[in-house]
Amino acid sequence: MKRNGFHIILAFFLCTVSAYAQLDSIQQLPEVMLTDSKLVHFSKGFKLEKLNDSIVERNATSLTETLRYNSSIYFKENGFGMASSPSFRGTNAAQTAVIWNGININSVFTGQTDFNTISPLNYNEISIRSGGGGVQYGSGAVGGSIHLNNTFSFEKIDTTQVELNYGSFSTVGGNANTTQTWGDHYLNVGMDFISSENDYDYVGKNQKNNHGEFLRFVAKVNEARSLKRGVANWNSEYTYNDRNFSGSLNTIGKDSYKDISTRNLWQLQQTVGIFNTKASVAHLFEQYRYFPDSEKPRYDEGRANTFIGALQSEILFQQKLRINGKVEYSYINAEGDNVGENSRKTLAAVLLMNHKISDYFSYGINIRKEFLNDFDNPFLFSADAKWKVSKNYALRLNGSKNYRVPTFNDLFWYAGGNINLQPETSYQVELGQEFSFGKLKADLAAYYISSEDLIKWVPGNGGIWKPVNINKTRNYGAEVVVNYSVNFLNKHTLGFTANYSYTKAEDLEKEKQLIYVPFHKATGTLQYNFKTLLVYFQGLYNGEAYTTTDNSYAVKAYEIFNLGMEYTFSSNPQITFGGRLKNAFNVYYENVAYRPMPSRNIQLFLKFNI
Amino acid sequence: MKKLLFLTFATLLLISCSNDDDPQTDPIPPPAAYEKGILVTNEGPFNNGSGTITYVSEDYATIAQNIYRTVNGKELGNIVQSMGFQDQNAYIVVSNSAKIMIANRYTFESVDSIKIGLENPRYFMGDAGNKGYVTDWGDPNDNSDDYVAVLDLRTNTIASTIPVAFGPERMVSYNNKIYVAHQGAYGQNNLVSVISGSSLESTITVGDVPNSMMISGNTLYVLCGGNPSYTGNETAGSLIKIDLSTGQVSQTFTFESTQHPTNLTMDGTSLFYSLDGKVYKLDTASISLPGTDIINGNFYALQAKDGKLYATDADDFASKGSLLIYDLSTNQQIQDFQTGIVPGGIYFND
Repeated sequence: MKRNGFHIILAFFLCTVSAYAQLDSIQQLPEVMLTDSKLVHFSKGFKLEKLNDSIVERNATSLTETLRYNSSIYFKENGFGMASSPSFRGTNAAQTAVIWNGININSVFTGQTDFNTISPLNYNEISIRSGGGGVQYGSGAVGGSIHLNNTFSFEKIDTTQVELNYGSFSTVGGNANTTQTWGDHYLNVGMDFISSENDYDYVGKNQKNNHGEFLRFVAKVNEARSLKRGVANWNSEYTYNDRNFSGSLNTIGKDSYKDISTRNLWQLQQTVGIFNTKASVAHLFEQYRYFPDSEKPRYDEGRANTFIGALQSEILFQQKLRINGKVEYSYINAEGDNVGENSRKTLAAVLLMNHKISDYFSYGINIRKEFLNDFDNPFLFSADAKWKVSKNYALRLNGSKNYRVPTFNDLFWYAGGNINLQPETSYQVELGQEFSFGKLKADLAAYYISSEDLIKWVPGNGGIWKPVNINKTRNYGAEVVVNYSVNFLNKHTLGFTANYSYTKAEDLEKEKQLIYVPFHKATGTLQYNFKTLLVYFQGLYNGEAYTTTDNSYAVKAYEIFNLGMEYTFSSNPQITFGGRLKNAFNVYYENVAYRPMPSRNIQLFLKFNI
Repeated sequence: MKKLLFLTFATLLLISCSNDDDPQTDPIPPPAAYEKGILVTNEGPFNNGSGTITYVSEDYATIAQNIYRTVNGKELGNIVQSMGFQDQNAYIVVSNSAKIMIANRYTFESVDSIKIGLENPRYFMGDAGNKGYVTDWGDPNDNSDDYVAVLDLRTNTIASTIPVAFGPERMVSYNNKIYVAHQGAYGQNNLVSVISGSSLESTITVGDVPNSMMISGNTLYVLCGGNPSYTGNETAGSLIKIDLSTGQVSQTFTFESTQHPTNLTMDGTSLFYSLDGKVYKLDTASISLPGTDIINGNFYALQAKDGKLYATDADDFASKGSLLIYDLSTNQQIQDFQTGIVPGGIYFND
């Protein structure tokens, strides 16, 4: 954790900048532009949930927490803050794509995103898009995709926020964020850090989490400039994580992991006639260092650079027919102690179409073809439709073919990597129903996913494990989302949100449920507002999840509850303070076998809106 | 109507929140329940779980899973690598948890444990005079800190350590000497260390990756897997005969260059080993490789005894495996028992 000092200095620098910012708190709702607008325009027949800021802030320790309490995604987390991988609709960890401003940021090495390395506070919008997104977002968008978007606007904005956190297990955090606009400029600069000893008790086990210290630092710059016929924008972020990895109930943690990533995206958008054209260039960098023994200097390293150039053009005929054509070239170069140096080039052509036949019915057809590849990437397609049957009821239907390309670890790992691997492919259909009666809203979705050629590491000759395209799975399930709020007695509001999912994910050869896919998961939040006081009660039920492929062992089902409170001074509305009591009933639970999660704990925060 | 639907779902949600199964517990067995029979050590799932021991009675009538926990109410730990016996005790080597759990070998009641001074223990070998030996990799990424620990079995502590070449694994004893095969931890090695008392007496160079040993008379048979192809320096497996009266290699039999045999075991004058999904048989009097293939199967562990071959199948290493028993007079399978996860060792509790 040598870099601690550097981060603290940077944090101070950012705080100082924000303290000098002008005190002008005229708030208005600006016209907001998304850096990835196709998410909205070409996903009409898909389930798209946007997590609003207040929801994100309640579970802001990591993206894992944000999504665990507010979606049906299951996270396989090796103890709090440790490696965390998702299972979205029962698919594997590499089949959830994380999309940053329209770009897939899953690791070149693992094909996954470790959701604990991402600060949910770094974005203006976090959206969950369920179902296949391979046409738009490429490899890995099978179960669904998580979208981390920065927005911009040229209306008058001058906001600065500084937040400090303190909590159990010597957890300290801070967040500073300023957004300014002037003339044709938009600028957003922010940083967020958290550091924790993370030495929680294993409830009822008389043991402690002894080697789970973590630190995360992120910084971002988002800039946009309005031009005569369009916009130029730059999004940039830097992430640094330094973690010791916890042991388990019966092993001692020794290893540690440090990773750095930087992401930069430049876009130039111009409107000429009916053509809205966007050129973009992006660079992604990831580096990890794995230390088998945190006390020793020896480590394994991997580094990857991804360069992406894309050109897309969109036309909208008579406000009804929207067509987007895109050509994207990407070049990945990766080097690692276990994979050697390798590169991959991909040229993708994407055509998206959405046709709004009337205010009640629209449909879309999307296709993607890739070239220049090392393997035979399948032709991808998706089709979706949305029908508003009445003002209370709408139907959604979509179907798609998706894929996941083998990762660099799968292909080149020493020893065992298999360069003859082919992409995993899957077909899926989903039927959704949306109900809306005033403030009561509900969404019911049912889906079916059939996947084949799934990559699995199997023991081969001489005890060496090797990945092969062998598994076939079938997933189906249902999801319910319910939202309700009611005002009463003037200024009192009661709100309720709940998610429930049933997931059946079957290995077709063994005819068993896949490991780490619970059949049942439910989350719920009950929230009460009175003037500037907010109190909420959050619950999570996680059903039993098998940990062995013959379903002979399982992590037990659990229920945990969190209680939170926030208050803004009416005399001084710039200051908000609050706290959360997490795991209020001090329940023992684990998401990965033998990896206990935290005991009861408290987090406090103080927030200044300047 | 639609509101009714919501209510139904809400109810479903509440119902589904209330099933919580308890793990099944095995009934408590009578004392000395595990005498005379076969014990299988199961490594357990890597990283996130506990290894177990399975017992199968001599007459195959009784099978008991997870016997250490059944008797003691606690688990063995992560990666039950192997087990050794000395007098009344079983010494269960739990590598990832860096400890040795000691239990009475007939009742499996916990006796003691050794937790200090071990890093990555691999195998235990008991010796006369209250002495025991444990091979230990030290830090598996460090090839210079491997050792054999000498245990004082009266106090169950480490009396001394003997630094050895990297990757010490299995041991056999002969004439007050301990022979240690250096398979090579995460890499490959090609040595057998000879230990006498508390000191390293000599080393014998054998083939690459010596993975199993057998003693017959004053001959030590060492089966070497050879370097696997991914090393970029693939070498053929070999079977090596060492004359223990001189400590010299007396004969070397070499496999074909891409053949990497494992699991040497012996019954009478026959040797058995695994190679490419088959079990082969050799006659010690006239060795000619590869010998006769007698049984098909990818076995994780192999032991021959009294006309029978005991073999484990670890399946996909993430579910329960099995113990298969073959009659060596017919080479037919006669029994099939479920074990725990990753059955890695077969022992006879005589």
